[in-house]
Amino acid sequence: MKLSIKVEPRLETPRMLGIAIPVISLAAALLSGAVFLFFMGVSPFQAYSTIIRSSLGDAYGLSETVVKAIPLAMAAIAVMLSFTMLIWNIGAEGQIFMGAIAAAAAVRYLFVDNHLAMFAIMFAAAGIAGGIWAAIAGYFRARWSVNEIITTLMLNYVAMNLLNYFVYGPWRDPASLGFPMTAPFPDAARLPSFWGTRIHAGLFLAILFPLIFWVILRFTRWGYEIRVMGENPKAAGFAGMSYIKNVVFVMFLSGAIAGIAGMCELSGLQGRLQHGFSGGYGYTAIIVAWLARLHPIAIILVSFLMGVLLVGGETLQIVMRLPLSSMLVLQGLILFFVLGGEFFRKFRIRILSGGATPPIATTSAKEEK
Amino acid sequence: MDARAPSKPLVRMEKITKRFTGVTANLDVDFDVRPGEVHALLGENGAGKSTLMNILYGLYRPDSGVLTIEGKDVSFSSPRDAIASGIGMVHQHFMLIPSQTVWENMILGLEGLSSVLPKRAIRERILELSSRYGLSVDPDAKIWQLSIGEQQRVAILQMLYRRAKILVLDEPTAVLTPQEAEHLFVTVRQMTSEGHGIVFISHKMDEVMGLSHRVTILRKGRLVGTVDTASTTKEKLAEMMIGQKMIFSIEKKELQPGKPVIECASVCALGDRGIPAVSRATFMIREQEILGVAGVAGNGQQELCETLVGLRKVESGAIRVNNEELTNSIPKTFIDKGIHYIPADRKGTGLVPNMNVSENSILKRYWSRAVSKKGFIDWKEVFSFARGLVSRYNVSTPSMETPVRNLSGGNLQKLMLGRELSDSPIAILAVHPTWGLDVAATKFVREQLLAAREAGCAVLLVSEDLDELLAMSDRLAVMCKGEIMGILDSPAETPVEAIGLMMAGTPAEEALASAPRGGGKS
Amino acid sequence: MKRFVVLLVFVLSVTLCGAAYAAFPAIPAEKINPGFVYIGPIGDGGWTYMHEQGRLAMEKEFPGVKSTFVESIPEGPDAARVFETMIRNGSKVIFGTTFGYMDFVQEVAKKYPDTIFMHCAGYKDAPNVGTYFGRMYQARYLSGLVAGKMTKKNRIGYVGAHPIPEVIRGINAFTQGVRKANPEAEVQVIWIFSWLDPGKEKEAAKALIDSGVDILAMHADTGATPQAAEEAGIYVIGYNNDMSAYAPTKHLTAPIWDWGMVYKETIGQVIKGTWQPSHIWYGLKEGMVALAPYGKDVPDLVKALVDVEKAKIVSGEWDVFHGPVKDQSGEVKVPEGAAMTDGEMLSMNWFVEGVKGDIPK
Repeated sequence: MKLSIKVEPRLETPRMLGIAIPVISLAAALLSGAVFLFFMGVSPFQAYSTIIRSSLGDAYGLSETVVKAIPLAMAAIAVMLSFTMLIWNIGAEGQIFMGAIAAAAAVRYLFVDNHLAMFAIMFAAAGIAGGIWAAIAGYFRARWSVNEIITTLMLNYVAMNLLNYFVYGPWRDPASLGFPMTAPFPDAARLPSFWGTRIHAGLFLAILFPLIFWVILRFTRWGYEIRVMGENPKAAGFAGMSYIKNVVFVMFLSGAIAGIAGMCELSGLQGRLQHGFSGGYGYTAIIVAWLARLHPIAIILVSFLMGVLLVGGETLQIVMRLPLSSMLVLQGLILFFVLGGEFFRKFRIRILSGGATPPIATTSAKEEK
Repeated sequence: MDARAPSKPLVRMEKITKRFTGVTANLDVDFDVRPGEVHALLGENGAGKSTLMNILYGLYRPDSGVLTIEGKDVSFSSPRDAIASGIGMVHQHFMLIPSQTVWENMILGLEGLSSVLPKRAIRERILELSSRYGLSVDPDAKIWQLSIGEQQRVAILQMLYRRAKILVLDEPTAVLTPQEAEHLFVTVRQMTSEGHGIVFISHKMDEVMGLSHRVTILRKGRLVGTVDTASTTKEKLAEMMIGQKMIFSIEKKELQPGKPVIECASVCALGDRGIPAVSRATFMIREQEILGVAGVAGNGQQELCETLVGLRKVESGAIRVNNEELTNSIPKTFIDKGIHYIPADRKGTGLVPNMNVSENSILKRYWSRAVSKKGFIDWKEVFSFARGLVSRYNVSTPSMETPVRNLSGGNLQKLMLGRELSDSPIAILAVHPTWGLDVAATKFVREQLLAAREAGCAVLLVSEDLDELLAMSDRLAVMCKGEIMGILDSPAETPVEAIGLMMAGTPAEEALASAPRGGGKS
Repeated sequence: MKRFVVLLVFVLSVTLCGAAYAAFPAIPAEKINPGFVYIGPIGDGGWTYMHEQGRLAMEKEFPGVKSTFVESIPEGPDAARVFETMIRNGSKVIFGTTFGYMDFVQEVAKKYPDTIFMHCAGYKDAPNVGTYFGRMYQARYLSGLVAGKMTKKNRIGYVGAHPIPEVIRGINAFTQGVRKANPEAEVQVIWIFSWLDPGKEKEAAKALIDSGVDILAMHADTGATPQAAEEAGIYVIGYNNDMSAYAPTKHLTAPIWDWGMVYKETIGQVIKGTWQPSHIWYGLKEGMVALAPYGKDVPDLVKALVDVEKAKIVSGEWDVFHGPVKDQSGEVKVPEGAAMTDGEMLSMNWFVEGVKGDIPK
């Protein structure tokens, strides 16, 4: 009996699969992770319960998971917006940096000793800086078809070096003994945090942004335009939509949100600009946006789950004394299965056995000898 | 037709069944091709022709059924297997690499080539094959430099180069001038005389009758029958195809054209490659008339239409709509003025395949008060609008939420047509509106365009189907290489040969002088 | 501005002498569970690798102490969570092994006054926060002597991580050594603005090689620079640990760390109940810094020179930044007979004569 496998595209995805596939993917991920942990000499049950307990099990763990999810959700909304239009903004990281730089500049040059006013100023500064940073790539893309993947990626490095320039140069805190950091922000320039945890006011933005953009994309004229332009730019032109203008604008918005994410991280957690700002949120956000299938509300959920994975992973290292690389393998396995499940939504696999269906043979038989 | 002794078939497909989710594309279909015959495959759109041929070409795998090549059971898991078994396919859209030469395309995807390409041997083989089958082409020319007809020859040569015994030609004449089509038929006859088997897919009954030995008719995925061409008639075939007697004629009212709606003066425009695509086009379209545009595909018709709706830059010349200069205005302006456009490329330009029926129905009116207020779209209104459209224009769709990529070509066209016509346009530019549609859908589209004309609309109809143009148009412009060779005031009385000459680049006076007068259509 | 610096130096020297912090009560060995937070992976073959060696040495010394570590924690808010998670899982002593953790150490230390923090390379202390570092500049000076003697073109390249006092001090000390051995030689510096980026480290090394240097020295976390030197066939001076594995034929020596010394000392004090915040800054004398074994090409004459200079430093008779020391413009920064204080050295922000390169201002 000979079996062969055939992959076929699905014309439509049955509704049931929409639920079953993520569940099965997650189960498969956890199962393969368990096998991996077993071979690492660790009890999978204990490991998983450590992840869950440390990230969800108590108020502290939960609060840290939320802290981690805040910048992820915002940055994911940023990239989601451009991805919806099929513009590949890979530069959220750089836009986060620009937002942080602008917020630090606002603290330095436009300081007002009032929480609300300072928040508004930093919000605007970060939004404009991140927005312009992305809009540059957007304009190049729209006007001269310059590949935005490359420009946004390159601008990440420029932004990083710009941050270095400021913290090593003109903004260096004289009290820091020459170490690369600005002076600590005054209290008015810090986002308030709540419940004795590190959860800061950025939380509201991380929930508000997804809701706003869900409404925009789903119910507004402009959202409709963006979706049409993303699905079929030619049809958009045919319907009289201005592609160039919208590419620049969407990139501006995308960058602005990323910039504001940077400002929240800076003012909510860090309290001063220093080298090594951001932990690659701009890149992780891309994964989050994809896992959420570019759905704004799903982004909140996925960001949170990503927070669980990251926070729980750290604890696993501490408690089970596992090396970092094994954590990366575990996280990689989970992402692999969840993203891999996507494939089964779009395609179906048919296993054909030699007896049941048409006799299969001569061409492959030829190869066999 | 010569009655050949039923020899052993080159390929035999028995009881082929293929289901996609919710759709049975083929059910127990039998089909075979004998050496030396042209076997035509007829059927409306969605009848299952493409699925059947894709199974033969290894793109799909049948759910059940047997495929034999020269008596041996086979199973293809990819076109590579099919090619290895001697099956070749010439698609409507040729799978050629435009930036490479003819000889480089010849060896595309071939295995077992030495790392130093034996260019001389390849060229010699091309020249040998092209003289044998009358497929003249320069082996060193780049594909993009060739006309569509020449590209088709390269695609056929490519299959012959791979020693294909069975050739599937998918609507090969759709893109050819009448002269080029004649030329193709000569090639096909040469191939059959050497024992090749040809599968000929076409919508054009005359070609089927003239070229094929046998005809297989599919309807809704099922086999209706296989008949000898010699023992049947066009009408019988049409009946088998659609399952009812149908009328070929078009009811067209005599109308007096009104004032000019669109006027073009010496319009020049560039094509996508930056090469002049439209040169000095001067014409007008009036209320209550259909201006047909004849010409082989790719001679500037589409580019011309695009300049008329603001999608392509006018390099020089002027466009006026109702006496208002609108040269190089943005597309929105043209839409607001009531100029509507039905592009040939339905899924690529006219619709958004991944969006659903209702979302597509408002592509050109999402800003109107009827469906949106204060920047927000009222989806309830949109749904009811879409439902109305779907029922008025007979679009068959499971629901308003179905992504339009799942609709058949005919339904896509009806949806698009309905959308463009429902905004009471003052002008409609339709490019190949019936291209690839089945008989019933074609009839429907034509009736709608005529209805628009009666309602006072100015209609520009670009088509490759000369019969359609002659039947529909009040006047007929013939384009070649971006130029309008002439505008015929009474196209139905003009000899087809003259139009063919104009399509090939002969100016109107000369073409009319050289063709016999008063012949009418043959 | 100048007044501010004077004030700063004053404040710093006060803190360096050790503020009056009380000693911590003793903690039984099995309850300490010290947590180590690393900026890089333990396999970086340099900075973090050496800290990990130190941790292992400590565990060997105190078999009852069970320590834990987390790798690759960036210098950002994540560090605070890792500290706190360790504490919540039973750690009584936390070692933060990179400068950028400073603010987060302070933040968490305030929240957990009963936990002991040891922060590497920073300057902020607290009742439960001490700092530790070493006089690496002394070992750098010795390695500079070797480089100065071995260069033929009188051009030496230096891959620098961040333009901060720690690195600048190292470059200056190295250059002092080079010039002592060879007054004609110059040290060319390239900044990579990262502690740990093998790609950038290698790129910078290659750029220096292309510019014509015949010896490389480095201040970064991995063995990428020695690799580049070995490939190009020029001599190299490593850092952190004996990097001869990365450049088997071209490795001359390397100024190296012994972190285990601090880790053993700290844990010993904690067990005994004598730990109190201090600023540990040990040098050649204590053995916290040293030179790695010489490569086979280093002549005995050079080794003898190094021994002489080392003896002077260990005996306390002389140190690297004793005058005269001139800056890049030739201006005398430390006059004959004077010496830089620890505070001045810790905030060093200018290059000595013989260094080619800029410090971003």
